[in-house]
Amino acid sequence: MKVSYNWLKEFVDFDQSPEDLAHAITMAGSEVEEIESIEGDTVFDIGITPNRPDCLSIRGIAREISTILGLPLKDVTTGLTNDDGAGPDITIDSPDLCYRYCSRIISEVKPGPSPDWLVKRLEACGIRPTSNIVDITNYVLLELGQPLHAFDLDDLAGQKIIVKQAGDIKKFTTLDNEERPLGKEMLMIWDGEKPVALAGIMGGLNTEVSESSVNILLESAYFKPASVRSTSKSLGLSTESSYRFERGVDIETVKLALDRAAALIAELAGGRISGITDVYPVKYKSRSIAVSLERINSLIGVDMEPSYIEETLSNLGFNVSREGDTINVTPPSFRNDVERAEDIVEEIARLYGYDNIPSTLPVMQMSPALEHKTQNLVKSLKLSFTGSGYSEVINYSFINPEVIDKLALADDDRRRNLLYVSNPLRQEESAMRTTLVPALLANLNLNLSRGERELRFFEISKVFLPSNERLPEEVLQAAAIYHKDKSNALWESGHDGYYDLKGAVENVLSNLNIRNMRFVHAGNIEEPYLHPGKSCSIMIGDIKIGTIGVLHPGVEEAFDISGDITVAEIHDVHTLLNNIPSKTTFVSLQKYPYVERDVSMLVHDNVTVASVREAIQDVTSYIIEEIKLFDIYKGKSIPADKKSLAFSIRFRSIEKTLTDNEVDKVYSRIVKKLEDSLNAELRS
Amino acid sequence: MQNDIHSIGDKAREEISKASTLKDVQDLKVKYLGKKGILTEQLKTLKTIAREDRPSFGSTLNKIKKSLEDLISQQEEGLKASDINNKLKTEQIDVTVPGCYTRYGRLHPVTQVLDEVTGIFTSLGFSVEEGPEVELDFYNFEALNMPEDHPARDMQDTFYISHDIVLRTHTSSVQVRVMEKNDPPLRVIAPGKVYRCDADVSHIPMFHQLEGFMVDKHVRMSDLKGVLELFIHRVFGPDTKVRLRPSFFPFTEPSAEIDISCVMCKGKGCNVCSTTGWIEILGAGMINPKVYEKAGYDPEQYTGFAFGMGIERVAMLKYSIDDVRLFPENDKRFLEQF
Repeated sequence: MKVSYNWLKEFVDFDQSPEDLAHAITMAGSEVEEIESIEGDTVFDIGITPNRPDCLSIRGIAREISTILGLPLKDVTTGLTNDDGAGPDITIDSPDLCYRYCSRIISEVKPGPSPDWLVKRLEACGIRPTSNIVDITNYVLLELGQPLHAFDLDDLAGQKIIVKQAGDIKKFTTLDNEERPLGKEMLMIWDGEKPVALAGIMGGLNTEVSESSVNILLESAYFKPASVRSTSKSLGLSTESSYRFERGVDIETVKLALDRAAALIAELAGGRISGITDVYPVKYKSRSIAVSLERINSLIGVDMEPSYIEETLSNLGFNVSREGDTINVTPPSFRNDVERAEDIVEEIARLYGYDNIPSTLPVMQMSPALEHKTQNLVKSLKLSFTGSGYSEVINYSFINPEVIDKLALADDDRRRNLLYVSNPLRQEESAMRTTLVPALLANLNLNLSRGERELRFFEISKVFLPSNERLPEEVLQAAAIYHKDKSNALWESGHDGYYDLKGAVENVLSNLNIRNMRFVHAGNIEEPYLHPGKSCSIMIGDIKIGTIGVLHPGVEEAFDISGDITVAEIHDVHTLLNNIPSKTTFVSLQKYPYVERDVSMLVHDNVTVASVREAIQDVTSYIIEEIKLFDIYKGKSIPADKKSLAFSIRFRSIEKTLTDNEVDKVYSRIVKKLEDSLNAELRS
Repeated sequence: MQNDIHSIGDKAREEISKASTLKDVQDLKVKYLGKKGILTEQLKTLKTIAREDRPSFGSTLNKIKKSLEDLISQQEEGLKASDINNKLKTEQIDVTVPGCYTRYGRLHPVTQVLDEVTGIFTSLGFSVEEGPEVELDFYNFEALNMPEDHPARDMQDTFYISHDIVLRTHTSSVQVRVMEKNDPPLRVIAPGKVYRCDADVSHIPMFHQLEGFMVDKHVRMSDLKGVLELFIHRVFGPDTKVRLRPSFFPFTEPSAEIDISCVMCKGKGCNVCSTTGWIEILGAGMINPKVYEKAGYDPEQYTGFAFGMGIERVAMLKYSIDDVRLFPENDKRFLEQF
């Protein structure tokens, strides 16, 4: 809210500079966000928190200043009384939504431009001046925080006002010339026939004050905050007026504001002021709050004198009485936010000054922080990925629904079932993601377009899958992507990108002491967005935990990306928790020497390394310690449908030094097994 | 005879001294001292010599043999040393060619700051808790004293999934979830993603927060001040000034915003702190009794404090990052700086 320094001075006689005053206001809870010098004045932009509608006016801020600085507050006087003749015809049909309605008629006014001083004040506070009648209602709104409305009396059928809900009326044109759809419950101001204003929000075009208006009816009312807020929200129409009503105006200022405006109109636009009609069906009831002095001091952590506490509350306009340790506090009508003891504590704390509160450390019984298994696992996964060369990205949880189609998922794929945001900012943020992959592809695209190469990224984040519960299932996934830079092979090995990422996954899992991981190509389609011949399941024992593979060429095209791209996913990080060995047991170091034998063979191209390894392991011999692949060769001197594989096998006994003869026996069983089951041709 | 072997010795010495390669020395060793070497052959003639001459002949022969052996090993050592020297003179690698290794990846700066902040609070005995990101209106608003149609809801632009399900706007949503399941005393932090329906130069629709709260008998506002000062001094250095300012959050009473002296200008005033010398870093306060009521705690018995901070904001101040939109962009050049 914009507040003029000069205007404040009319209420409190302070001599603080604008900067000092701004600091004092800020430290009492209403943050001065900006200080702007304008011609002959200084304007503060103050952030008023939702609990302090009493500060949404010049007088309100002045009241704060008077409390903070301990200076008297000058109040507004009008010279009008309650008994200067009959007032207009006012009826409240919905007293549950309108607690008070005050009105006067000003006849034979002369609409025209406002004087300079008024124009300047409105402009300083960010309101555009129009003509005197409307400008004065805005002026009083700024000054006292009470929204007012002026109707052209001669347009009011029956020259009367009825406050009631919209009922069957479906449309209403507000004075900004917009036709608004009405809801049954919305509170309207009616004349004898029709609605003439959206109560507390905006007047109607049908009764707008114009250059030619002669007689006007002035409204000052208290509307129920929730009612104004719900109408304002459903129409998407927020005004200076609705902003104050929905936070709560001071019901005891309603009449003063009416009189203030009427007197100003008579002064600046001429005219005769009628008597007042004050319909006040729901009278203000003050409330008393009891709070113990001990509670105040112990909650803040200070030791204030009772007299200091009483004085502070009185300065705030609160009525205070004390009985022993208890004080009874009655807040004024403009402080609806003060409801219970803690609110009183806050008032005292902020005026005492948060800076004056000491710093202490809590005294409590020692207890260990609980171990958070998932967080610890995630931390360790992240460190393994970075240790394998992959950098962490954090992408939005949103997904553009169109992107899902680009992954070529099957129609019944669960990931197509998106959870939609009902009020998205853009298409890109209109649904919650069910997969981490598209964002990783976008990360590649962005970085490639900026000239970055050799991209290794991973992300560990939640995906959101609709479920039968009230809330969706949030599944913590891990995904990684590698884009190999083929132009930069100087020191990089020449193998496919797939093996880089597979190595990282092996590294990550073995760092968790998971030993029984397997990469299984089952022959069916692993993921529709992966190359069917270059993808597989990541298994721990017999449990599938994820997939890894080269991106499908069709998907590459859909995402407008190309190159050697490999993607790996762990579908639910929590499944890893159940597969991490709970206990590590030391195995004695072998003390007898080992014997190594190489076995080199020609096999059919579709024989996998894993199947050779398994065949060797099938030769159940306790002396086979380790089987290591050291060469794969295809090409010249080998038939086109064959490849050459070479393994180094290490033999060792735990009980004695092996003899050549013992190793030879097992070795020849291995050779036979390879020949029999894989049709291998052994090479020497 | 003696003269013969002396001249053999002299000749051998000369040849060995002149040898210029290790192989030549080896060959000469074989030639003179090998199983069929010249000197070895001479030794075999010992039996043919007159008995009385044998000792002096033998001792002479052994002396010569010994002196040759010494000379040979001396030559071998010299030649080996010069061989190594020659190698060292000619062999060279280009030590400036880039090393061959897998470059370490980096943790996202948000993760790094979250880890640091989490570490500080766990060291004070705070336990880590989590809550759902797609949250019931109840936990995000209602239980935190923000009923529907409350203007405080305007403080946060909310993404809605349906009328009673939202993307959580703050990690404060974890408060009542934890309180429902646990009795005081409580010391909890809840890090995680939050969402606001807001995107411009200084706002991103998803960012990270860390919520912290403590509930026990006799927790004071001065304790809140002490704990947060400790935290700020750890993250931003012990000389950082801390200022509490009254503010408003529906779920705390009294409420405070916590400012720190500007990390850029050290409080002198610059464009980062809008010349005020102060930067807002945290929102906090004493937990509102209305929250305890929703959680089923006795507000007469327990007091406590809560605080929340934006992790991106802490990271921006810590690393002098000037654009919040860099965090979700994931440019490798950005990620590799931390």
